[in-house]
Amino acid sequence: MNDLKDFFDSERQRVFEPDSFFTQRVMARLNDGKERRFRDFVIWEPLTNSTLPVLAVALVLILSFIAVEFLIPQLPQRGMVDSFLAPEQSPTESFLYNDTDVPSRQVVLELITLEDQE
Amino acid sequence: MEFDRELIIRAQAGDRSAHEVIVNHFSAMVFRLISRFFRTREDVEDIAQEVFLKVFARIDQVRPDENFPGWLARVTVNSCYDELRKTRRRKEAMEAYGPEMAAEQAVNPREPDSLGKARLALQRLDPKLRVPLVLKEVDDMSVEEIANTLGLTQTNVKVRLFRARKKLQSMLGGNEGYKR
Repeated sequence: MNDLKDFFDSERQRVFEPDSFFTQRVMARLNDGKERRFRDFVIWEPLTNSTLPVLAVALVLILSFIAVEFLIPQLPQRGMVDSFLAPEQSPTESFLYNDTDVPSRQVVLELITLEDQE
Repeated sequence: MEFDRELIIRAQAGDRSAHEVIVNHFSAMVFRLISRFFRTREDVEDIAQEVFLKVFARIDQVRPDENFPGWLARVTVNSCYDELRKTRRRKEAMEAYGPEMAAEQAVNPREPDSLGKARLALQRLDPKLRVPLVLKEVDDMSVEEIANTLGLTQTNVKVRLFRARKKLQSMLGGNEGYKR
């Protein structure tokens, strides 16, 4: 006799039958699935598990940036060294180095002359 | 047929008792088909449950006049085919990157040696060839029935059966072909 023919004959005898609780198990899964579909549907459910951590990190970074922008008070537009040296500057120096309006050459020369005389 | 038709209409309307009758009525057929491809009761039961969940999720696609048992057989065989492909991919990954799946590879000690070899050869066959062969040889389906179940042409089924037999012969030593 041929091996494969014997094998197929033996396979024909091998059949599993459903047990008496099979229908109940299917119905339970069916009911559970239907309830869960309505109960647990949330916006991130369609996202795959692998993208969730990336999205979470991005969300935290965006919120941190917004918090820093809104909650921390704006500092004056000068650096740390400028702030440290500010009390030691004379009004003339302050005018020269900190004023946003650049003085004309004539004014600068006058100021230098005044400084030299002092 | 009239029984099926009425049942399908009730199931499509969401009648839970109709779903229950369908499971009761067709579970033996679904189990028998899945048993052709899987060897443990747990596998067969898991896939059978998935089949019925799929069937009820797509019950709207069934026309009441359609041959429901045929449609159910198609869903069942396609589920088995998908599962066999997944198992095969897992097995290939295990063979490539990890230890061999001993349980799958081993010959059952209670099984005669020749049958064990035939079983292993069949397991190694690509599901594309294995499914039609098992339906033909074990389930005694005609080529036309296999074509309808798998959604293939009859010529395609014949080609796959020919290739499956040829491949099995070569796996089992070349000269151990079988005739029906």
